[in-house]
Amino acid sequence: MPSILVIVEQQQGKPNRVSWETIAAGQAIAADMGWSVEAAVAGNAIAGVAGEVAAKKLAKVYAVDSPSLDRYNPDAFAAALKQLIVAKQPMLVLMPHTYQVRDFAPKLATQLGRCVISDCTGYKKGGEKLVFTRQMFQGKFSADVSFGSDGPWLATFQNGSFRGDKAEDGAATAPIETFPVTIDAAAVRNQPEEWFKEAKQAVDLTQAEIIVSVGRGIKEQKNIELAQQLATALGGEIAASRPICDNGWLPMDRQIGSSGQTVSPKLYLALGISGAIQHIVGMKGARAIVAINKDSEAPIFEIADIAVVGNLFDIVPPLIEEIKTAKS
Amino acid sequence: MLIFRKPIEGIERPEMPADVVIVGGGPAGMACALRLSQLIDEHNAIHPDSPLSKENIYVLEKAREVGQHCLSGALLDPRAMRELLPGFETEAPIEAEVSKEAVHYLTQTGQFKLPITPPPLQDHGNYVISINRFVKWMGEKVEAAGITVFTGFAGSELLYDGDRVIGVRTDDKGIDKQNQKKSNFEPGYDLKAKVVVLAEGSRGSLTKQLVSKFDLARDSNPQTYGVGVKELWELPPGRVAAGEVIYTMGYPLTTKEYGGAWIYGGKDNVISLGFVTGLDYSDPRLDPQRVLQEFKKHPFIAKMLEGGKMIRYGAKSLPYGGWWALPALAGDGFMITGDSAGFLNSARLKGIHLAMKSGMIAAQTAFEALVKGDSSEKTLGLYPKRVGQSWIKEELWKVRNFHQGFEKGFYAGLAHTMLQQVTFGRGLYARYPSHAGYERMQHLDALPANGGAEANLLGDAKGDGKLTFDKLTDLYHSGTKHEEDQPAHLVIHDTNICNTRCVKEFGNPCTHFCPANVYEMVEDTSSGQGASSEVPVKRISLNAANCVHCKTCDIMDPYQIIDWVPPEGGGGPNYDGM
Amino acid sequence: MKILVCMKQVPQKDAPLKLNESGTWIREDVSYEVNEPDAFALEEALRQKEKHGGEVVVITSGPARAQQVLREALAKGADRAIHLEDDAFVGLDALNTARALAAAIKDEQFDLIFTGLQSDDYGFAQTGVILAELLGWPHATIIMHLEKSDSGIRVKRELEAGFFQFVNMPLPAVLTIQSGINKLRYATLIGIKQAKNKPMRKVALADVQTALTTNLQKIEKLYVPQKTKKTETLDGPPAEIAKKLVDKLRNELRVL
Repeated sequence: MPSILVIVEQQQGKPNRVSWETIAAGQAIAADMGWSVEAAVAGNAIAGVAGEVAAKKLAKVYAVDSPSLDRYNPDAFAAALKQLIVAKQPMLVLMPHTYQVRDFAPKLATQLGRCVISDCTGYKKGGEKLVFTRQMFQGKFSADVSFGSDGPWLATFQNGSFRGDKAEDGAATAPIETFPVTIDAAAVRNQPEEWFKEAKQAVDLTQAEIIVSVGRGIKEQKNIELAQQLATALGGEIAASRPICDNGWLPMDRQIGSSGQTVSPKLYLALGISGAIQHIVGMKGARAIVAINKDSEAPIFEIADIAVVGNLFDIVPPLIEEIKTAKS
Repeated sequence: MLIFRKPIEGIERPEMPADVVIVGGGPAGMACALRLSQLIDEHNAIHPDSPLSKENIYVLEKAREVGQHCLSGALLDPRAMRELLPGFETEAPIEAEVSKEAVHYLTQTGQFKLPITPPPLQDHGNYVISINRFVKWMGEKVEAAGITVFTGFAGSELLYDGDRVIGVRTDDKGIDKQNQKKSNFEPGYDLKAKVVVLAEGSRGSLTKQLVSKFDLARDSNPQTYGVGVKELWELPPGRVAAGEVIYTMGYPLTTKEYGGAWIYGGKDNVISLGFVTGLDYSDPRLDPQRVLQEFKKHPFIAKMLEGGKMIRYGAKSLPYGGWWALPALAGDGFMITGDSAGFLNSARLKGIHLAMKSGMIAAQTAFEALVKGDSSEKTLGLYPKRVGQSWIKEELWKVRNFHQGFEKGFYAGLAHTMLQQVTFGRGLYARYPSHAGYERMQHLDALPANGGAEANLLGDAKGDGKLTFDKLTDLYHSGTKHEEDQPAHLVIHDTNICNTRCVKEFGNPCTHFCPANVYEMVEDTSSGQGASSEVPVKRISLNAANCVHCKTCDIMDPYQIIDWVPPEGGGGPNYDGM
Repeated sequence: MKILVCMKQVPQKDAPLKLNESGTWIREDVSYEVNEPDAFALEEALRQKEKHGGEVVVITSGPARAQQVLREALAKGADRAIHLEDDAFVGLDALNTARALAAAIKDEQFDLIFTGLQSDDYGFAQTGVILAELLGWPHATIIMHLEKSDSGIRVKRELEAGFFQFVNMPLPAVLTIQSGINKLRYATLIGIKQAKNKPMRKVALADVQTALTTNLQKIEKLYVPQKTKKTETLDGPPAEIAKKLVDKLRNELRVL
């Protein structure tokens, strides 16, 4: 039976949250295609991670455990995973489209004489044929892409394209197989240093999962404080439509729209934003859009999942309180 | 605080010598460059040991790509192109040959077709073109001919030596909103040129500076303008045929306003649709973009557009003044061509062929200046002489009093036109005067509060999103984009007038006549006055990045305190297919 | 330092795009521009040249129109250009594109190869990494900063969630460059004029054909994403709306 191999990403003994999404994806495809699904974790002393992963409904979990994989670098990781894939011959290898995977997956695929379809948002089964869906031209179009070779196929999934909480738990713990790898130290050319955080000058709204955005309806600069409180309560970032930034009420890097940033967060909460097309194009890819606006005919309501027609100054304060309560 | 663009002072500017600098890469500028190249080639064939070089001939085009700022209906009278490039039809991008033409008069709900198409509007033998595509093609030919077109560079100032034009200064790049240099600042170049040809299009900014400095319009009628607001529509097949030409008059304008619409059928079921409103209307609340939307609501038009999709939007002013409004066309070191001078036939609604011909004549003269080694008025003055002996004069002379005849309204205009038809264009007087359009704007307190008969032309269009659109939605389809962090290029010389006088007298008409929502009156929270007065104090605010470079504000501002100057090169609309 | 910058011409960011007849690609009658991350890659290369001397070469694969991207790069200060010119290059997948590039530069000795981190049209983010593998060179992706070191170079990688990491690498190496890493310079008039005389080497498809294979992946269909949006309206006094909304945020949208 063909198998799917999900490569789980881990950082310092903890599985990267997005890997649950990839497992959910693997399980879904396996169910659809009648295939089995397995997972692999690569790193050093990752027995604990492997154990966590094994709680999911998987046929097997491979622990690719080696001191050479202690700190991520593309040479070692590609070499190790290549050995695993060559040995186990999965039909399909799935990875989350993280910065780390972007760094080695194309290299791995090339070493295998194969290719990666990267940054997919889903898959489709047409008869026996499996195609992967991804966005192109900055989200203007979707593409169905198929593989033109036999396995192993490699694909990476975009954050949020599957739900991590839908990854099924196994009835029993999956068997864990330690897979030894030989990595030639001389072949590892990159010497990475420690991770660090920086006081970032420019905010990258494309990374924010929750965005609270203000438009003209906020009326005055001093009212932005209220929106900021809401953003903080939700654990999100504040952003704005163009006129707000033009007025200097928020810095330019908070602008969303055709002349600002394009975002696709989990939640986009639009306060007092009318929904002019110049703004919409910057946020219509959000997974959930909640709009609060006094004007029932505001165009933003056409693309909102949840519409609240009302005065944002009446609604936002109790909303902040409710959120704080819910979170405690 | 509004900070306006102004060339940085006290810095070293790189210089580049030039033989000829053509400011503007539209039909006039490109025709000029092509003709100049032909003349140089001919000369070099005959004089192989004293060849002229094309190395130092430049076209400055402010758009990022050739043709991006070109907008017109358009119908091309092939006369000039046939002289410039015989057989051009075989390779130039042409939408269609005009196959059918009609003029309709629209009433409130009905319409009737004029039994005879008035002769100036008879278009057989003309071509429907996209001026954007056509100019792009011309640009390729210019580059292939060996003349450099600098795209993304605007002419921001003329350089003078006393009374002589000695060159052009290009735009300073990399200045921030406060007029301070950014880390990637690049000063504008001083192009020291023997001959400067101005081909900036309608209401050119350098042309305006030049005409003012040398009083070149002292013997001319004040120039008058219209603004064309255009949408490109994709229609269901067969609705409008390629090459079909429709003009309309009447609705939604009253007899007091000048204007009308055009619909030209192009290729692939794409039609060009637009409304020109004369920039001499009296109610300052009139909004030309709204006029276009109202026009589309007429059943005759709405039916035509049903099931169609609007794919692009834009606006541009056009000069109506005709022959008497031409300024002095040449002087020491300069010549003025195309719409910058005002070579438009307002009766035929055509100017592209005249612009091209003027560019060609200017090229002839520039060539002679190079050969003679003299680019003073003595030589360059041959340009206006030649224009006066060419078919430009022949054509424009016939309609020299046409537009002015309409100053007193539609019926008066018709009467004058009919008289002019039988007096070889003369009409009632040898030379009809004209008055700048903005002078006819009336104070709000002299007009009915609800707008009276013009009520549906005033204020913002709401738009249903399918047939009609609000200004912001339309604007999005102009593709206009500018570097955000730069000073405002709509230079208002005294914003106090906007905030204290204009608001009362005219109600800030710029917030209405700008087709791009650049001008807005916003609550002035800084001064703290809002707290104590009942009505919040407002001040003028600019969304300069919206600008589509139509120049309506420069033309129609009733106090004439707005100077449109080019923003950083490369910015502006993207009139693909327009 | 001899640096190669791989650049791509893509449809203009907000150009309205239309699908072709077969729905497998877009109609090509749009405006094009340089892929934004590639412009930053070029700027970085030019800055490195200004600091350490050397040569900056730019390369692209695409139809005749792609030459514009090279011309602009030369106008900004690149020394020479290589154009793999053929309409067919548009349809090559990342692996074949990388193979074509590698074949075109096989006789050159670059110290560094830059690409943008991904293209604005495909968004695959692969060509640079694959090129490194084909050449047998080390690579690093999403680079924010680069400096020379004794053993080669030290680069700053951008990671998720606001983290960064320095990596030491030997030369030669391939780097994919992040947007916004620097401020782009303007081309000057003089630069544009001089660009006309800078060498532009054309490489035909036939010259690299032997290095290519059939694409390993295929776009079956390109289409406008369909989204059926059902809007739910929340009513009631503000306190009630707040409660209902939080309930939705927590249980339906799962963002709390």
